[in-house]
Amino acid sequence: MFRIPLLVALALAITFGLGTLSAVWALKATIGFGSIALGPWNAFPNAQTGSADPYARAHRARDGALLLGSAEGLVFRASHDSSGLTLTGRCSYDVAGLTPAARFWTLHATTPDGKPLSLDRNMPGGLNSWTVLRGADSNFTVRVAASAQPGNWLAVPAGQPFRLVLTLLDTPAAGSSGVVDLSMPVITRAGCANA
Amino acid sequence: MRSVIFAVLVGILGAAALHILIILAVPGFTGNDAYTRITELGEPQHFYPLDNDPVADGGLVNDDPGMRIAVCALSVAERPVRLYAPAGVPFWSIGLFDSTANEVFSMNDRTSVGGVLDVVVATPIQLNAIRKTLPADLSRSILVEMAGEDGYAVLRTFVPTATMDEAAYSFLSDAGCEAIEDETE
Repeated sequence: MFRIPLLVALALAITFGLGTLSAVWALKATIGFGSIALGPWNAFPNAQTGSADPYARAHRARDGALLLGSAEGLVFRASHDSSGLTLTGRCSYDVAGLTPAARFWTLHATTPDGKPLSLDRNMPGGLNSWTVLRGADSNFTVRVAASAQPGNWLAVPAGQPFRLVLTLLDTPAAGSSGVVDLSMPVITRAGCANA
Repeated sequence: MRSVIFAVLVGILGAAALHILIILAVPGFTGNDAYTRITELGEPQHFYPLDNDPVADGGLVNDDPGMRIAVCALSVAERPVRLYAPAGVPFWSIGLFDSTANEVFSMNDRTSVGGVLDVVVATPIQLNAIRKTLPADLSRSILVEMAGEDGYAVLRTFVPTATMDEAAYSFLSDAGCEAIEDETE
């Protein structure tokens, strides 16, 4: 007797449940299509343009972030190290190598969803191309860790997952055409605290 | 059994339609987009430097310790708007966006005239009037056409060391985002 209403209810439940959940998931999981992935680093050179896809538009409207114009620079983000493990403040990491050509760059960490980290004001929460110490071949190695390190130290809160953000200022990479031979720094795990 | 499978299929089709609808509708309904958040900072036509520390009420912050940012909501509905800032910082860049956060124009100090930011934002009609008369004080300005009336500008500067914070702050507070007073008819 209740067969037809039950079937209608089933169809409606799937429609609204699946439709809403998948939309929310899509907005959280991705910034849109058209990303450049270089190892663990991801950038979205077209996310701020009028040709951005609907997912990118929905994401930036929900996020409310101030995106960089194409003449300003390009932001690369990494939530994983080069072997694919999630970045966490329980471990320390080495970010080593060179950035693509850019006039300046800055490196800092945020929470996995892009919010500022709660870090002591006296801790080094950011590094940039002027202050980083380089080797003789102009490569640099930045140690990302919760406790103080010699050399280039980027502080992160202990025990929390984080995301690295590398902003290239005034870079030809933002033109996004010749992105194939861009080399980004490698993120390797240097060690972990005992759990 | 067949009718259950049919109901599930109809549900999945409906879910796909709803998914597309939500994704397309979200930009109009979030109330958290960059333009809305900037207009909440205060009066339009004014550059507001952003805080570098997290704000409790979830307002706009600049999360990059190597940058200082000022934002300005602007409207060219009545008069063209002039964006200007002096030279004197190692790097600055400006991004101009419409109210739906699409990039209209962007540049940095290397692409400017003498390292000075001097951009006039106008509608196509206002631009025509400016080009016809070309007032002397706008002769070195970069003219930018904005199709919509409302938008916002983001001015960034690079602060490599804490000692340059003061220079960056005065650069951002000297930056102007004002309607042009005596519009050429």
